[in-house]
Amino acid sequence: MRRLVVALAALAALTATVAQAERAQRGNLIVSLDGGLSPLALPRDRPAPVAVHLEGGLQTADRSPLPRVTRIELGLPAQGVVSTKGLPTCPPRLLRDAKPPEALAFCRDALVGRGSLRASVALPNQGPFSVRAGVLAFNARIDGSRVVLLHAYTADPPTVAVLPLRLRRGSGRFGLALVGDLSPALGPWPRLRRFDITLFRRYLYNSGSRSYLSASCPIPERLTAGFFSLAELTFRLADGRRIGTAIARSCRAR
Amino acid sequence: MPRLIPIVFLALALLAAADAPAAEAPTRDEYVERLEVMCKPDAEATQRAMKGARGDVRAERLAVAARKFAKATAIFGGTVKQISAVPRPSADTDRLAKWFTYLNRQESYLGQITAQLRQDHGIKAQRLTARFIHTGNLANNVVLAFGFNWCSFKFSRYG
Repeated sequence: MRRLVVALAALAALTATVAQAERAQRGNLIVSLDGGLSPLALPRDRPAPVAVHLEGGLQTADRSPLPRVTRIELGLPAQGVVSTKGLPTCPPRLLRDAKPPEALAFCRDALVGRGSLRASVALPNQGPFSVRAGVLAFNARIDGSRVVLLHAYTADPPTVAVLPLRLRRGSGRFGLALVGDLSPALGPWPRLRRFDITLFRRYLYNSGSRSYLSASCPIPERLTAGFFSLAELTFRLADGRRIGTAIARSCRAR
Repeated sequence: MPRLIPIVFLALALLAAADAPAAEAPTRDEYVERLEVMCKPDAEATQRAMKGARGDVRAERLAVAARKFAKATAIFGGTVKQISAVPRPSADTDRLAKWFTYLNRQESYLGQITAQLRQDHGIKAQRLTARFIHTGNLANNVVLAFGFNWCSFKFSRYG
């Protein structure tokens, strides 16, 4: 846990110094993505434990109501390694009606990250209001596939949502993809506005230390830093449109 | 009367000249459409020219990477020259002037990166690459509302 706190503090410092999020606009819809790796200094030749922080958002240029998101896709570089061998999993059924303390009581061993979600809720015949949900991310398996299970909880109004992000092989520069379908059971009213998530977990397996996420900085000896495509975010909307953007970040060799 | 005719013509000519730029100025949507047509083939050519450039730098084939960057610089410069000649929407002239400033700066950085790679100065090239990417993001933010696709800066097109 102390390591997680240190990683989060390092990421907070990092995101305070990097440029603002990359943004793209299609029509009146703006998508943004920001994020980083911690630590920035990584070995050239072997993967080392890292934390990944990502923040994404959707807004309209004219402040009109946001469209409904039906799918989120997060592409990550293929050089990243996701290790789940020996890491406990959390069955989704344990989270469905659980508040965060209960979710942690059931599945703390499977915790791989934390974050938050913000959404606008526009109920018929009412003014829109905002909700902010705390998010816990757990390692899970669904139908044999590796999954990051997001448990989102908001106290006002008290609501729990469980969103599985399936880990898939991506395409091109982004060899890994986390894909989550937003359940129609959430209803037509919540409109996703922002999310942020930090994934990091160290654990012991076979008396050896392992990391949920690892990465290297594979650059030549005489270079000190390099650039890589860190992530790509794509939202699929209820009307069939897709909107996305990607970010590039640097790493330093150690 | 004979003197009045040239004066009237002169006045009409001046009025027509004053009206001409306003009549030619496209709307923002028209402008975007025209530019995207120009940017698309160049963006695709850049992708082809830069294919494998990052791998070349990683494998320390800096001379090979320099040739790819030189091609990309030429394409980028050609695109900027071409699109800067297009009449701009009158309401967006300041914003577009800023955008072109950033694009010119990016072109300059690409040229400098090429030069440093040719001289085998990998670290200097890497520093300039950081500035190139940063300036590209600033350029994108200036014209965010235009919704460019092919004319916006995307790091993924550079190898």
